[in-house]
Amino acid sequence: MTLRIPCPNCGERPHTEFAFGGEARLHEAPDDEADFARVFLPDNDPGSARERWFHALGCRTWFELTRDATTNRIG
Amino acid sequence: MRPGSLRFEGREIPIQDGDTVASAMFRAGVRTFSRSLKSRRRRGLYCGTGECPNCMVTVDGVPGVRSCVTDAAAGMRVERGRGWPSAEHDLLHVTDLMHPLMPVGFYMKTFVRPRFAWPLAERVIRRATGSGRLPEGRDPSRFTARHVHVDAAVVGAGGAGLAAALEAARAGDRVLLCDAFPIGSRMPPGPALDGIRALEAEVQAERAIEIVDRHAALGVYDGPTLALASDDELVQVHAGRVVLATGATETHEAFPGNDLPGVWLGRAASQMAGLHGVHPGRRVVVVASTEEGLDHLRTLVGAGVDVVAAVVPSAFLDDVPPTAEAIADGELISASGGGRGRVRSVTLRERGEQRRIPCDALVLSTGLAPRDELARMASPDEPVELVGDAALGDGVAPGVSGGYVCLCEDVSAHDLEQAWSEGFRSAEILKRYTTATMGPCRGAMCGRALAAFAARRSEGRDRAAAPRTAARPPVRPVALEALAASVHEVIEKRTSLHDTHLAAGARLGWSSGWKRPFAYGDWREEYAAVRERAGLMDVGTLGKILIAGRDAATLVDRVFPGRVADLAPGRSRYVLALYEAGYVADDGILGALGDGTFFLTSTSGGAERMDARLREWTFRLGLHVHLLDRTSELGAIVVAGPDARDLLGSLSDDAIDAAALPHGGLREITVAGVPCTALRTGFVGELAFELHHPRSGGPRLWAELIRAGERVDARPFGMDALELLRLEKGHPYIGQDTLPDDTPAKLGLDRAVDMGKSWFVGRAALERLARGPVGRRLVGLSFEGGPADAAELRGMPVGAGGEIVGRVTSAGRSPALVRSIGLAWVRTRDGELPAALTAGDATASVVPTPFYDPEGARLRG
Repeated sequence: MTLRIPCPNCGERPHTEFAFGGEARLHEAPDDEADFARVFLPDNDPGSARERWFHALGCRTWFELTRDATTNRIG
Repeated sequence: MRPGSLRFEGREIPIQDGDTVASAMFRAGVRTFSRSLKSRRRRGLYCGTGECPNCMVTVDGVPGVRSCVTDAAAGMRVERGRGWPSAEHDLLHVTDLMHPLMPVGFYMKTFVRPRFAWPLAERVIRRATGSGRLPEGRDPSRFTARHVHVDAAVVGAGGAGLAAALEAARAGDRVLLCDAFPIGSRMPPGPALDGIRALEAEVQAERAIEIVDRHAALGVYDGPTLALASDDELVQVHAGRVVLATGATETHEAFPGNDLPGVWLGRAASQMAGLHGVHPGRRVVVVASTEEGLDHLRTLVGAGVDVVAAVVPSAFLDDVPPTAEAIADGELISASGGGRGRVRSVTLRERGEQRRIPCDALVLSTGLAPRDELARMASPDEPVELVGDAALGDGVAPGVSGGYVCLCEDVSAHDLEQAWSEGFRSAEILKRYTTATMGPCRGAMCGRALAAFAARRSEGRDRAAAPRTAARPPVRPVALEALAASVHEVIEKRTSLHDTHLAAGARLGWSSGWKRPFAYGDWREEYAAVRERAGLMDVGTLGKILIAGRDAATLVDRVFPGRVADLAPGRSRYVLALYEAGYVADDGILGALGDGTFFLTSTSGGAERMDARLREWTFRLGLHVHLLDRTSELGAIVVAGPDARDLLGSLSDDAIDAAALPHGGLREITVAGVPCTALRTGFVGELAFELHHPRSGGPRLWAELIRAGERVDARPFGMDALELLRLEKGHPYIGQDTLPDDTPAKLGLDRAVDMGKSWFVGRAALERLARGPVGRRLVGLSFEGGPADAAELRGMPVGAGGEIVGRVTSAGRSPALVRSIGLAWVRTRDGELPAALTAGDATASVVPTPFYDPEGARLRG
């Protein structure tokens, strides 16, 4: 229930204060097919992935972190 | 002695000091405390620790109360839940006699065909089962919710828990110590209780320890986080680590007759005798194979109970009081009942010989089953540890030789055998098929017995550590209203004019988190005022975001698909916000304030998402932008209608003529002494000014506008009038008139997109989508026939040639056009809209929008 997210401003806070922003991906892709995949096909791999998070109910800062989706281990 | 009595099924039962509801009932001669779920077997006091379902009664209208752990109080109304006509004389007990005819899975197997039979059968079965009636007409949840943050949370305030809490506090931790019951309650006086009291005194003296008694731990979640519930609050404990000192229950053995009233676990019997001074029986047989069992034996004998025989391991022989016959290493075979289902005798095997001992109570202390459910549900790498009895691990597996394995769900050993023979061959699927362990005890009593059964049947050998069914919250029964704690505490957003609207008699309603006026009187009059004279609307709910900093212009150019780079200071423009998938997320008005600073108004309720979106792209594109969400510090009032300029001019010395403040213009003016950012907007389709002002000036500004508006009979208007005003202009509400995958092309909003720009959020997707046909369009419809109030058409499917091709998203009777109009999405075929549309009994034709004043002459005025 309480995954704790390290906010670069506020330090470690319960995940309920944050919004998940998806896998951290570039904002553009070289071609159309890659752009489609970029937008619609998340990797959703078990294990570590780079993610974007938003401290919605806090300082409203966006940041990236690396989280293991199977263990919730961050960093 | 505590004065008073409780009212039990129409008679008064006296209460003594320290009584639980169960002890008072037992003293008064009640032996059948409940009827079992399916077979309606009599059930009496058994565990004494609030785990088994046997003692559940209805107290003051609340069903499912465990009487053995509920303090008796004068005036309580107590009834037994099941039983028809009563628990004492339950005619449905015939189901027990029919048990051979009602195998496990009986309901599912018997009533599935013919199909119509099941609803009928279900009604009968429903009436026959259940553990009481839910109270009706109660207030919404009284429960509150709170969060607690500590270094260590200790669950269970017995000896191990108290010691663990002390140790943690002395090491410098902030500690929360919780227990489902008051510390030391339910313990008979003696050295054990003295030890608890001594530790309790030390704990009380330790300021770093918060004691939360009468709070049951329901579950352990990631974090670790602990959920606790009392009878008036739900607590989430965020702990650095969790120490589980939840102790152990006494082993629940399944043997023939094990569920008869008169079969007790040691703790229940010794409490009854040692704490409440009531003998559990006149002739008692004790089976004790633990040290604790010996204590219970001593307690019983010390209280004057006639223990006729004590079955103990040979090592304990010397500890058996001389008044009882000591039987070494006897094996319990069965208990047999007599009249009213009570125990009449016990059958043992002693040195190979079977022997029957007449008695009316059998007390069992055959082992300890650690309460480890909380630990088993925690993720393996969480700092969650077991201490004390809870850490004993799996000892001797309980025997399953007959009788009832699961008391809650009435699952017998025979039922398990049968399920096994049908092919349900693991604890998990036996559980799902028979519902064993799924009752109110949450497997606390029967979980190990079920696992032991499955292990023995599958491997032919005893295995204490047999795979058990997954532990899941809640491990203790909890009222649904506890889980609903604080759901009624909603944040109601109000504008600065809230009280003003109330005083004006406005009908307020919810709208995207805000309380807003829907109408002040007849909305048609409000509508007419806007179209013919002037109207005022509180739009303080609009999102109001200031965008500043070096890269502000770059940010708005990247985030919004339309052309904004050429936006001159003092001008504003309609903007869309897209997702990367090219779908429309929101819309708003972007105004340029000069010096590369922008003021964005977004839809009410969309402000936070818009702010988040701008921040996201500032971050992702690495821009330098300052964002300030001014939604809550600014109010806004719309003055709209042909007389709006006159009205405003009478309160302002600033130039607001068409040259100084044209349609789409923006400038700072002062109105009635209140500084405002005035925007010429056109949502309602008339000459209109949107006045953004400091929130504190709102009531004054509104009052002055109302006063000045009397001259032209201006009216305040609400959401109801706005609905039609904007519908006549064909403005879609993003979210109401749109679908999640609507693109600008589908909505006819291509004018808000400039594909000449090299990059904006969603551009690649729009380019991709532009290569295919637009599969669906939001169009304006004009209805013929149908209901007098076309608003009833909202939500109707749109038909064409007998097929459903779309849906009406907004509809109403337009007073200006004197016809029924609406917005609808309609599926295209080969890029063309189908002809001859219908909606309900109305025929519909696609017409261009805006319906009203298509050239926009009125709003440009």
